[in-house]
Amino acid sequence: MNIPSLDSLGRWFRGTSVYRSIVRHGVAETSRNRSLIVFENLFLHVHPVKVREKALRFKHTYWLGGITMVCVIVLVASGVPLMFYYHPSVPQAYQDMKELKYVVDNGVFLRNLHRWGAHLMVFGAFLHMLRVFYHGAYQPPRQFNWVVGVVLLVLTLFLSYTGYLLPWDQLAFWGVSVGTNMAREAPVIGDKLRFFLLGGNAVSENALLRFYVLHCVLLPVVLFLFLGVHIWRIRKDGGVKGPSEEAPDAFHEEEP
Amino acid sequence: MKTDSFRLRRVFAITSVAFLFTLAISPAKNYFREYRSIQEQFRKLGASRAHSLKDAKTYQNRPVAISQIWLRDFGNRVDRCTTCHQGVADPAMANAPEPHRLHPWTAHTPGDSDRMGCTSCHSGEGLATVRGDAHGTTADSSSPLTPLANIEAGCGRCHTSEAVPQAALLSRGRALITKAGCYACHSVRGHEQFRSEAPPLNSVAVKTGGEWVRQWLKNPRAMDPNSSMPNFQLDTQQIEELTHYLFSRPVNPELAAKVAAASQEAPGDAVSGKKIFSESRCITCHTVEGKGNGSAPELSKVASMASRGWLLAFIRDPHAFSPETRMPRYHFSDSESRDLVAYFETELKDFDAPEGILDPLHVNQTLAEKGAKAFRGLGCFACHDPAQGTIKEKFGPDLNGLGDKRAASLDFGRRTDLARTLPAWTAAKLMDPRSFSAGLKMPNYGFKNEDVQAIVTALLSLGSKPVPEAYHPVSHGTSAPIPGGAIGQLVQQYRCLSCHQIGTQGGDISTAPLTFEGSKVKRDWLVNYLMLSFTIRPILEERMPIFRIPKDEAEKLADAIESFYVNPAIPEDPFAGRPASDQNASEGQRLYVANGCRACHIIGPSGGYYGPPLTDTSTRLKPGWVFKWLKDPQAWRADVRCPNYGLTDTDALRITAYLETLRAPGAQKSSGGKG
Repeated sequence: MNIPSLDSLGRWFRGTSVYRSIVRHGVAETSRNRSLIVFENLFLHVHPVKVREKALRFKHTYWLGGITMVCVIVLVASGVPLMFYYHPSVPQAYQDMKELKYVVDNGVFLRNLHRWGAHLMVFGAFLHMLRVFYHGAYQPPRQFNWVVGVVLLVLTLFLSYTGYLLPWDQLAFWGVSVGTNMAREAPVIGDKLRFFLLGGNAVSENALLRFYVLHCVLLPVVLFLFLGVHIWRIRKDGGVKGPSEEAPDAFHEEEP
Repeated sequence: MKTDSFRLRRVFAITSVAFLFTLAISPAKNYFREYRSIQEQFRKLGASRAHSLKDAKTYQNRPVAISQIWLRDFGNRVDRCTTCHQGVADPAMANAPEPHRLHPWTAHTPGDSDRMGCTSCHSGEGLATVRGDAHGTTADSSSPLTPLANIEAGCGRCHTSEAVPQAALLSRGRALITKAGCYACHSVRGHEQFRSEAPPLNSVAVKTGGEWVRQWLKNPRAMDPNSSMPNFQLDTQQIEELTHYLFSRPVNPELAAKVAAASQEAPGDAVSGKKIFSESRCITCHTVEGKGNGSAPELSKVASMASRGWLLAFIRDPHAFSPETRMPRYHFSDSESRDLVAYFETELKDFDAPEGILDPLHVNQTLAEKGAKAFRGLGCFACHDPAQGTIKEKFGPDLNGLGDKRAASLDFGRRTDLARTLPAWTAAKLMDPRSFSAGLKMPNYGFKNEDVQAIVTALLSLGSKPVPEAYHPVSHGTSAPIPGGAIGQLVQQYRCLSCHQIGTQGGDISTAPLTFEGSKVKRDWLVNYLMLSFTIRPILEERMPIFRIPKDEAEKLADAIESFYVNPAIPEDPFAGRPASDQNASEGQRLYVANGCRACHIIGPSGGYYGPPLTDTSTRLKPGWVFKWLKDPQAWRADVRCPNYGLTDTDALRITAYLETLRAPGAQKSSGGKG
């Protein structure tokens, strides 16, 4: 009986249709092949095929958008397991915080990862926006993406705020009480707006449920939608724009 | 270019390894949790204490796990204390080091631990699996452990009735709270109907003098160490205003007339008064120079406290002056009360009192008006004139839920010396209430340290978490009613409840609760005893006073006791129709001697004097009671010292028959009359 060599096994494996449907273009380091890899992959194609080395330098963008984006991924990755342990109900919610602390394996790590990730995401988004502003990267042709960015910032803040209520501790309760009372001060629709946010006239189980659904379903879906547009627009607008003295270069040399 | 890429790779490699290590921190911390090593210790300890190889193996094979008690009834509470305290119900762990030790025996452990868990008595954070959090030793814990010194507070969470037999400190604390009159100012569930015993102050002007009132207000305890009035730490100005106000209060005209009439009477005979005083056993409640029970005022200076007329009128009818007083109304004749007061005036007065201590005061209206404000503002009305406080809110803060208050919500004010805990705060409030900040109103009660410990325990039992209905202790059907009508009036007049307990009501001066008195003593004996009480247990200082109850009243009371205060479980005739002589009384006598009953009881010339003498048992006690008592003494009084010998029915009947043969030498069938 012939024992197949490792080499022949590898060749057989690379020949299977499953492998070929996942890795379609091999690893040949030709420009054409690289372009094909990027073009034909959903996840890679948001990125340009070629990027100038300068654009990747830390000082060019301080990687702020990227950091914020990584935070989003970390938050989803830690948020989903948190959802396994959390019940959005008044008698259960705070107790679940304690269960995470005392019983769930790595529960404290998960919660802290989510919490600090969220802080970093808000902070990163702000800095990213400042960076874009001071580099003048909001100017045409990027004015549309600036607006999308503003929407993303608002979504980030909403996500942060809705997540604040979920532990259902005193800080959460009063934070949301104050916040929704601020909403009430809005002209004309103030009272209606607060009622709509809370699902009632006070911070109660309805508010908890609403904030939970907003935090875990609605806002993330909308965020991802705008995030997709945002990243796609970067490419369409000619890549990231760094400090303005480089502007003419970047403008002409990036592929459209 | 080459070196650049090499450097990049190196950075990448180093950061990757660092990242991996960072990620490993959390699982590592998770793996090395405290309770794992504690469970490991427990396995070793158990194996070392096991008596057989099999037991040792069982200990060694215990899995590492979080164990918990789920208390569905207590709002889905979960107690994980047994994760570390694995030996709480394991008899092999007696005297083991903490946290492995066996829980000491209580009425609820180990039997009820699955039903009650740990935190319902001990407080603490049941969910936690980390020591600091579970015990609440971290700063501003929401639920710290109740200190072991106050652990009986846990009993009081469910046992809300006044006295809890197996929780002496808690019961004492509750009794002290009642005695100090805390409920007059503070609202506590179950005590809404509390009435202070403080006199209503509607006859101050005819009772005493301005100087006496001034001295009293300055420090009540200096005038009467038994007084339950606290020290309000008043300044001279406030004392002056209040004194003028008290004398400006309208005097009840009926009382004024009584006092005026009595003051005109001729003086009595002090020598006979002294005899009456000791005969009537006044020091069962009062003290004279510290001797006596101390639940009523010290009398050694009584004649310098109140005018002659007032003393006379008061002794004749205390209830007219002070409706809530515990003092009974004696049947003194006019001349007897005169003799008593004469005795007071010759011997029981303050020989160092300033001249004119009882002189009336000329009221200054301006001062009196200010005093009226102070009377309200200081909260005097809460005890002395509760009608003024018909408002729903009590004068002081609500104490319900105090036991579950977070230390962070307490105002420590100036007291930076205190530990930031609820028990420390409460104790300091009781010791020195005004030390926290300026303008506080609670007066100083001068509690002793051990009193404070008891009161803190009682206060910590006022929890905010609801106790499920099923956990409310069942009362043992001892809530015997107090009859109304003529009998009720007699019970009121003689204030039986000041000393005796009936069901759950009544005082603790007497050791004989009346709840089942009708099943216990014979009617004829009772009639005689009521008319001429004598001491049943000479070892006790407190004795039943001689009220001089007339025969018809004594018979009425005895009949009422015979019909109301009986227990159907106590047979009228334990011998089931056969004559007592059918039982082997001589065997009963042998058992009496063999069990050492003589150590405490006197029969004839010999025996101990701790328990009541049994010389005339057949005259005093009903055989059914004797039989039932012998079977289980503690069933009738939880704190009684008489041992439960676990006698069989036959043996108990034999001893009963023996005791039935005992009759006092020259026993009278019915004597009656005054002695």
